[in-house]
Amino acid sequence: MGWIDRLVVILTKFVSWVSTSLGIGAGETWPGEIAITLRPNIARTLAQNLPDGVILIAGTNGKTTTALMVKTILEHIGKSVVHNATGANLLNGVVSSFIKNADWLGRITADVGIFEIDENSLPIVLRYISPKRIVLLNLFRDQLDRYGEVDVIVEKWQKVLGDKNLVLNADDPAIASLGNKQTIYFGLKDPRKYLKEKEHASDSIFCPKCGNRLSYEGVYYSHIGVWRCDSCDNQRPKPYVSSWPSSLPGLYNQYNTLAAVAVAKSLEIPDKDIKNALKDFSPAFGRQEEVNVGSTTIKLFLSKNPAGFNASLRTVLEMGAKELLFVLNDRIPDGRDVSWIWDVDFEMIPNDISVTVSGDRVYDIALRMKYADLKARVEPDLSKALAHTRGTLFVLATYSAMLEIRKHIVGHKIL
Amino acid sequence: MTVKIAWLYPDLMSTYGDRGNVIVLQKRCEWRGIPVEVVPITLETLDFRLSDCNMIFMGGAQDRQQKLAGEDFLKRKGPVVKKMVERGVPALFVCAAYQFVGHYYKPYQGEKIPGAGIFDLYTVHPGDQEKRLIGNVAAELINPPVSSRDPESFKDEAIYNNQSDRLSRFARNDKRIIVGFENHGGRTYLGSKMKPFAKVLKGYGNNGEDGFEGAVYNNAIGSYFHGPLLPKNPFIADWLLEKVVGPLKPLDDSLEQKANEAVR
Repeated sequence: MGWIDRLVVILTKFVSWVSTSLGIGAGETWPGEIAITLRPNIARTLAQNLPDGVILIAGTNGKTTTALMVKTILEHIGKSVVHNATGANLLNGVVSSFIKNADWLGRITADVGIFEIDENSLPIVLRYISPKRIVLLNLFRDQLDRYGEVDVIVEKWQKVLGDKNLVLNADDPAIASLGNKQTIYFGLKDPRKYLKEKEHASDSIFCPKCGNRLSYEGVYYSHIGVWRCDSCDNQRPKPYVSSWPSSLPGLYNQYNTLAAVAVAKSLEIPDKDIKNALKDFSPAFGRQEEVNVGSTTIKLFLSKNPAGFNASLRTVLEMGAKELLFVLNDRIPDGRDVSWIWDVDFEMIPNDISVTVSGDRVYDIALRMKYADLKARVEPDLSKALAHTRGTLFVLATYSAMLEIRKHIVGHKIL
Repeated sequence: MTVKIAWLYPDLMSTYGDRGNVIVLQKRCEWRGIPVEVVPITLETLDFRLSDCNMIFMGGAQDRQQKLAGEDFLKRKGPVVKKMVERGVPALFVCAAYQFVGHYYKPYQGEKIPGAGIFDLYTVHPGDQEKRLIGNVAAELINPPVSSRDPESFKDEAIYNNQSDRLSRFARNDKRIIVGFENHGGRTYLGSKMKPFAKVLKGYGNNGEDGFEGAVYNNAIGSYFHGPLLPKNPFIADWLLEKVVGPLKPLDDSLEQKANEAVR
């Protein structure tokens, strides 16, 4: 690493330290932004300083949890890990995490980098970083106003992935079709978990190669399942990892676990170490997090798109939820368009469950409840919506709503 | 009479919560005791299943799916839909479907893509340097006149008296404001046979130039509003339904009203 790059790291680290000490900002993105402005290629130099390379994780749902699992495993075997903060998943967030990791001489101290990357930013990040592994989890429609359509993302990815070392979800047809010769796949083998009926919020039901309708031996959720194309030779690739005990509830966490395990196994980490590492895995921010408030418990489920929301909903119902709170915001990190709530299968909620709705768009979500024939308590005031609870309240909320909820129940936004 | 809603390409053309439009039509029938059936019409569906319906809905799509549906629509379902619309069958075309039913779509590169020519309009994509028209929108309704029945005539009905305050406000003064969310790159221009659906108050509408949103022809409506369109603008749903079953009993739309006002 050249002296100019090191100087830039020291400088931005200092500015970041001053401003976080003064409580001006958390320094998750802008120190990186400054460094990139001063030295456009700094991400490349920084990544080259990691002896064990970089692992990138992308996909609509599960990035944060999967990254945290991979980090837990690598730390368990004694590696020092640099990783980006939740939501800071553009190039500037990656560089910021390097700056945070560096010592005061501007040297990177970590062995390996694990970064969750925004779908649209993956091509940009790949311009600077040659990762050891790229993990692609799934693609669902998510904030169409911001991210664009699923097909557009697949096309962008296709152009930049080439013969890179990929770890792909075999059960998502669009993801699986991005594979090359050395690709490792993960996929679920558990026919008991097949859905009886297809969900509405599906995106990829047509063959990514020839455009014909796909056949499914079984669907796990949304368009994720054991698929094949009857008109060309395209089919679900055979997974290298297809079962592993998950320490978190829910089918999507099963997938996150399989992805993390597939990465670890591909790095030749022994099964025994992976098992021990994941034994006491605790969830990431707002991902099935549990908070005790007085005599009651609040469980938080970040739910920001139809597929994720359906998965959360199914999980909380399986967990025996009796009280639900949905909080819908439409700020920039949530996506301004709230249309997606109509693609969520709220109709699966039994009538005896009490539902409260809140958030910036409380009347939109209330209306959705009405048309699902559910009687919901409409509570625009979030603190009131949270306060009314005995036992366990299960909260499904969008990103900015989750931050607000944290502020209410623990007094500050981020732990 | 059973309301039979032909939902065109539910597996291909259903993004942006399009399903909400169908749910609203369905529920507003059920709540009034009107028999209703949703008939999914997709690539493999035979034409007679479509022409047998008395209401049409078609929504938005992603590019790849739009191509698959587009070929089928142009060759097979489009001509059937055209006859139905000419006959006065109520229809709602949203986003991509709205573009589809016009004469053509001109991408910024390449040839014009022909449409089904059901509506006298065309759409042009101004180039990838031009911004997409995205955001919350509100517009004042011009066509159709939303209630085929004077709100005063509901007065003798019990349900109306019970909620007279809320209802009358929604029915008379505020009834003409529609709200939604738009997200489109193409700019749509209306021909002389079309009546504009609404006048934009906030947002862009058809093309961001002439101040109009959507189009109406016979009993068919085209619109860029999703969100989806009908939940927050239930009077449009009722207008479509009344074309099939005649005058409707009013429902308590106070929640719809609040959701509508929140977007303005």
